[in-house]
Amino acid sequence: MNKIPFILVIILLAIFVLNMERLSQPRVNIYGWYGVISREVLSDFEKETGIKVVYDVYDNNDSLEAKLLATNSGYDIVFPSFIPYAARQFNMGAYQKIDMEFVPNIKNISGGITDNYKKSGGDIEYLIPIFWGTTGIAYDANVLSKLFPNEKIDSYDVLLNPEKAKKLAKYGISFPEEYIDIFLQTNVYLNNGKLEGVRDPKLINRYIDCFKLIREYIKKFSSNTITTDLISGEVCIAISSSDTAWRAKRSGKYVDKDIRYIIPKDAGILWVDCVGIPQKAPNKENAYKFLNYLLRPEVAAKITNYSGILVNVPSSVELYNEEITNDPEICPVDNEIISKLIMGVPNKNLEDTKYDKLAARAWSQIRMGIFTHIEAVE
Amino acid sequence: MIRISKTIGTVLIFGYAFLFTPIVFLIVTSFSASEIPGIWTGFSLKWFEALLEDSDLIHAGITSLEVACISASGAVVLGVLAAAATTNSGIFCGKKFLSTMIVIPIVMPELIIGFSLLMLFMAMESIFGFPKERGIMTVTIGHMMATVAYVHMTVRSRLLSFDHAIEESALDLGAAPFSVFLRIKVPIISKSIISGWLLAFTLSLDDLVIASFLSGPGSTTLPILIFSNVRVGVTPAINALATLLIAIVTFCLAVAFCLTKKRKKGPY
Repeated sequence: MNKIPFILVIILLAIFVLNMERLSQPRVNIYGWYGVISREVLSDFEKETGIKVVYDVYDNNDSLEAKLLATNSGYDIVFPSFIPYAARQFNMGAYQKIDMEFVPNIKNISGGITDNYKKSGGDIEYLIPIFWGTTGIAYDANVLSKLFPNEKIDSYDVLLNPEKAKKLAKYGISFPEEYIDIFLQTNVYLNNGKLEGVRDPKLINRYIDCFKLIREYIKKFSSNTITTDLISGEVCIAISSSDTAWRAKRSGKYVDKDIRYIIPKDAGILWVDCVGIPQKAPNKENAYKFLNYLLRPEVAAKITNYSGILVNVPSSVELYNEEITNDPEICPVDNEIISKLIMGVPNKNLEDTKYDKLAARAWSQIRMGIFTHIEAVE
Repeated sequence: MIRISKTIGTVLIFGYAFLFTPIVFLIVTSFSASEIPGIWTGFSLKWFEALLEDSDLIHAGITSLEVACISASGAVVLGVLAAAATTNSGIFCGKKFLSTMIVIPIVMPELIIGFSLLMLFMAMESIFGFPKERGIMTVTIGHMMATVAYVHMTVRSRLLSFDHAIEESALDLGAAPFSVFLRIKVPIISKSIISGWLLAFTLSLDDLVIASFLSGPGSTTLPILIFSNVRVGVTPAINALATLLIAIVTFCLAVAFCLTKKRKKGPY
């Protein structure tokens, strides 16, 4: 009995020593999405440079934002979604300027996505648009071909039209958790294919009216469990990002589910995830090295092949697996499709912030099944 | 033998089914060969193998064990001292106050513990420059704070039935108070100390809320990793991991249970 404390002390000391050794190595602290960058990519970097990669994961932008805005996160590289998170954090001065001299591979990212990003007000000197994809509709083709035998599923009509939604209700409809992922599409749907007045507060009440008719048919509001929901048959159709849909599609094959993904003709949404270096990053030089490494075409291709998320390095497309290039909906390489995609507008001033608050409130009302109109509050 | 009526028997079965069906289902499916969790396609250990090859999961597991070990040990030291103080027969003003205050973390939501500690660390950082960043240490401190109360409760309930005559006779025979504590009291209550440690260890191992508030670079614990994993679609490797965790936790609880149980039979 007397030996137990002694053994415990030795164990604790051992842990402590191991920790010290771990801390003294040169390292780079990364905070990223789970399942985007594979271990292989990280350990190749470690082998090449001798810099230890500490890779922590989050599953939503809010976790990241909470860490970033709390004085010193300790991270060197983070991957926020551009709209509205990165744009907002940028306005708050959370990121430092990237010295492009140390990131020569920045030349690889020129292309349609980067142009779109700049047009939407993104500043490439601070936040590099690195991952992208689309938001569209993922569905179980077996169920939908039974319900709508003669129709081609290619627009939001199938979800936002009450008659069609009613038919789908029995098999489950999933909508996103946040208004950002749905109001743009609703806007285009209500305006017959045109995006009008992205931040017009008056439109919010029209969205509420639109959802009043279909709310009872929606089974769940979830952005995180789409893959599992589609495969288990919990829902048959979901608004989903392209990489999530790709995973669902791949896993679906194991259980004989024909999951398909489409970019709706009326409103294909483009989303971009950025990479940035937070203020006070402790290992800035190593962060530059890692950024430069990420932007290599062969590394970019490895990431895409692993996760289905597209990396904004156009020259990497040749290195993609056939599984991805064969699916133009998941991987739209065609510039014409890309140019038709709609991208949200980041908030710039107080008016925009007001709209965002109203929209968020409206969406949470809709989720709870309350359809009273929202009055613009001062 | 106790006879159980049919109604009570049925209720009992439903009760146990309600409690344990999900866990049994999870354990059974962790041995499935299927690529999708929750579907049975034949017996296989391949997900346990996949688990061993997944360095992220293993790393997170080690971090979790590390945090749990250190925080449980710290909580035991503080908890035992606090329990000794609150059950001391001597005069100690504020005894009532301390014994009430120390159980507060049990009733306080973890959210509040995590958030208030985060605020404190942020303030400390800007004033003293310490802790420089959040990481394993801050998570450990948070867990220690949350689990001290549990250790205190376990040890205190043992100390309340402690025969003070033993302590007094040791003092009479010339032992210094401190060595009475270390050489008489601690060995006698050692079983409750060990069960307190195991309890703290288990609580720390499955905490998500406090850890996600206080974590920093390199301190992704298992619960955080599993939680983030859900977005990508869980693989059955998580089932395998959960099975292992359930085994560890069950083992710890069983040991803790046996130790507290045996105590009653012994002379003390």
